[in-house]
Amino acid sequence: MAEHGGGAGCCPPMDLFRSEPMHLVQVIIPIESARLTVSYLGDIGLIQFKDLNAEKSPFQRTYAGQIKRCGELARKLRLFKDQMSKADVTPSAKSEAKTDCNLDDLEVNLGELEAELTEINANSEKLQRGYNELVEYKLVLQKAGEFFKAAERSAAAQQRELSSHQTGEESLETPLLKDQEPTADQSKQVKLGFLTGLVPKGKAMAFERILFRATRGNVFLRQASVEEAVIDPSSGEKVEKNVFVVFFSGERAKSKILKICEAFGANRYSFPEDLSKQAQMITEVSGRLSELKTTIDTGLLHRGNLLETIGKQYEQWNDLVRKEKSIYHTLNMLSIDVTKKCLVGEGWSPIFATQQIQDALQKATIDSKSQVGAIFQVLHTKELPPTYFRTNKFTDSFQTIVDAYGVAKYQEANPGVYTVVTFPFLFAVMFGDWGHGICILLATLYLIFREKKYSSQKLGDIMEMTFGGRYVILLMSLFSIYTGLIYNEFFSVPFELFSPSAYACRDAACSEATTIGLIKVRDTYPFGVDPAWHGSRSELPFLNSLKMKMSILLGVAQMNLGIILSFFNALHFRNAVNIWFQFIPQMIFLNGLFGYLSLLIIVKWCTGSKADLYHVMIYMFLSPTDDLGENQLFPNQKTIQLVLLLLSLIAVPWMLLPKPFILKAQHNRTHQGESYTALQGTEDSLQVEAGHDPHDHEEFEFSEVFVHQLIHTIEFVLGAVSNTASYLRLWALSLAHSELSTVFYEKVLLLAWGYNNVIILFVGIIVFIFATVGVLLVMETLSAFLHALRLHWVEFQNKFYEGDGYKFAPFSFALLGNEEE
Amino acid sequence: MGFLLTTLAFAVIGIIASLCARICCNKGPSANLFHLTLVITATVCCWMMWAIVYLAQMNPLIVPILSESE
Repeated sequence: MAEHGGGAGCCPPMDLFRSEPMHLVQVIIPIESARLTVSYLGDIGLIQFKDLNAEKSPFQRTYAGQIKRCGELARKLRLFKDQMSKADVTPSAKSEAKTDCNLDDLEVNLGELEAELTEINANSEKLQRGYNELVEYKLVLQKAGEFFKAAERSAAAQQRELSSHQTGEESLETPLLKDQEPTADQSKQVKLGFLTGLVPKGKAMAFERILFRATRGNVFLRQASVEEAVIDPSSGEKVEKNVFVVFFSGERAKSKILKICEAFGANRYSFPEDLSKQAQMITEVSGRLSELKTTIDTGLLHRGNLLETIGKQYEQWNDLVRKEKSIYHTLNMLSIDVTKKCLVGEGWSPIFATQQIQDALQKATIDSKSQVGAIFQVLHTKELPPTYFRTNKFTDSFQTIVDAYGVAKYQEANPGVYTVVTFPFLFAVMFGDWGHGICILLATLYLIFREKKYSSQKLGDIMEMTFGGRYVILLMSLFSIYTGLIYNEFFSVPFELFSPSAYACRDAACSEATTIGLIKVRDTYPFGVDPAWHGSRSELPFLNSLKMKMSILLGVAQMNLGIILSFFNALHFRNAVNIWFQFIPQMIFLNGLFGYLSLLIIVKWCTGSKADLYHVMIYMFLSPTDDLGENQLFPNQKTIQLVLLLLSLIAVPWMLLPKPFILKAQHNRTHQGESYTALQGTEDSLQVEAGHDPHDHEEFEFSEVFVHQLIHTIEFVLGAVSNTASYLRLWALSLAHSELSTVFYEKVLLLAWGYNNVIILFVGIIVFIFATVGVLLVMETLSAFLHALRLHWVEFQNKFYEGDGYKFAPFSFALLGNEEE
Repeated sequence: MGFLLTTLAFAVIGIIASLCARICCNKGPSANLFHLTLVITATVCCWMMWAIVYLAQMNPLIVPILSESE
């Protein structure tokens, strides 16, 4: 690789064209001021620390304990956040008063708060459980009481019936039965027990069936559904439940039933048989319920207050913890000196930030009252520095478009500079309609005017993307208004804005207008497409020919710009080989074929010749010596074509062969030199070791270089054809756009207009608006955007852009927030 | 000649725009060069588009033929 020198001397370096010059710096910080120093460096956010402890696991590093502490604090904060979101307490926005609290205070503070909160939670949970149990108990008392009352009533009725029977019909048998019945009853009543409780409604049927089976039918179950869902005490969820009473006989049956109850999650409650006791119980339970309720309410109020106070400072604490964690994380990347008195850090920083960093180091030394200052020095290395572009809110989104393809190599020419204009321009070539352009412009202006509001709040995915690209969309809309004026389309309707149409009827009767056509009577329409073409039978042939040729002309121009940028790259990196054996033959090849085609197109337009350009181009290859005949556009065309063809043919081996051989010769020369001058001085060799660059003694594989060059050449030669063809997408998409908008205008709006009916017109307008917005403004925008993206990434950037760099990722507090979200 | 006149107009607009950029947001030589590049690229793009469409209509090989229905 050649030396990385400065740019051309004639003019100042252009913003964004090259990434910021960087250097590798070393800072040696005394251990007592390390935390403060790193914190100040994080405020500046212009230094990217290298991990000097890469071989150590996270637990072996110096500040592992502190990171664990921060993690613990973050966990507590997350707990608080969880609790706050459950209790609907929103943390107040970043508080204006910034109190200086340090990590130790915060740790104590948070610990206390957490203990308090967990205690409150545990208590309130216990209380809530008791409350829920009481509620269930009350329900059981009420419902089961009803059973018993009903049963008693019916029993009484039976008794009466029975007694009436007995009194009314005294027979011989009665005395006998009377004697027996009470005894039998008594013996049964002793064994008959019952259980009451609640079972979830969903399980009630199964519960009943299992009970019946388990006791072989020797059971009597009554159920009544509870109208409102009750909160289950054990799970805390709302469940619809049934109150049940089950009568059984015998201890074995009881134990079986108990087990079944447990399995079904049925809560049992004791139930007094005595009626007066029941009433007493109910009043007692109600009293306790209201008591518990007030206790729980005060508990909740207390908890709410606590969370409110946490919410006030939550953001601040969260920021502090995040900052501290990142500081210790960074400190862990520094290597500790053997004397354990200072930390040594290495990192990349832009050269312009040197003064800022030194000031920060000094300030940290003073503020931490350290006796020894930090040392700042620049290291020399052959490693490739990271790529850093200083973008603003306008250029940032365009740079993102370029970075999405690949981050530029350090100091490589940045296509982003031209993308700012050419991207929206190529988009607009495909999206030329000034009505649609105005619609998009209004939408973006709305976004831009509310920029402050939107940038502070969280947006949805799609909205976020649109908002991030608002300046791209702004330029896109401005250019589409321009191209729309050129295409003379306003929602597909042409206007005679700049002058009357150049075409008119041949005679007063206009008889031949539909057969031979109009005639040009004035000067050419001065700006854009003549409105007379709209709706005519020859509109499509004319527009197709125009747009196809325009695509090729624009494409050749942009590809030439790409190759010229490769020239500036070679110039910047002092790479003469690339200029002579890559840039020049590439220019010759592309312009010898497609530059010539562009020239033919322009000449044909200017002269109005009827030459067939396809024929000219095809026979330029097939039989270059043949006479051109009527396809001749200018004198000596045949000779010129022969020369161009020969030059293009020569350009291919010119690209392919010399470069690998020259590289090999260069490599041999430098290696020979190195073997003689290796033992120059101790200082140099030390520095080489300090740089510990693995690419220092790179093996030179001739075959690899040759194959690489072969691929590059083939790619360029084939690419010249296929990329030119690829630009025809400009024609295809702009055709699709104008046809679609014509269809919507004529087949929806004009059709609805033709009915002379207000309702139909109204419906037509609605359909037109939705179709325009949905299909043209949203989907067409997306597709044109994607195609413009492709034209930039592939057709433009592959001419010069390597894009194998890596992005500058400084240690910065300002960037922390974005990463976490 | 309409072509040369309008081209001249484009050039004038380009120069005015670059002067405006220079006067309105003068943020050091590097930024000025960047703005100048943007203005020149935009002007060239717009001019090319116009010139292509203008040249294509200068000596028409086909003329508008109206549809029957109109």
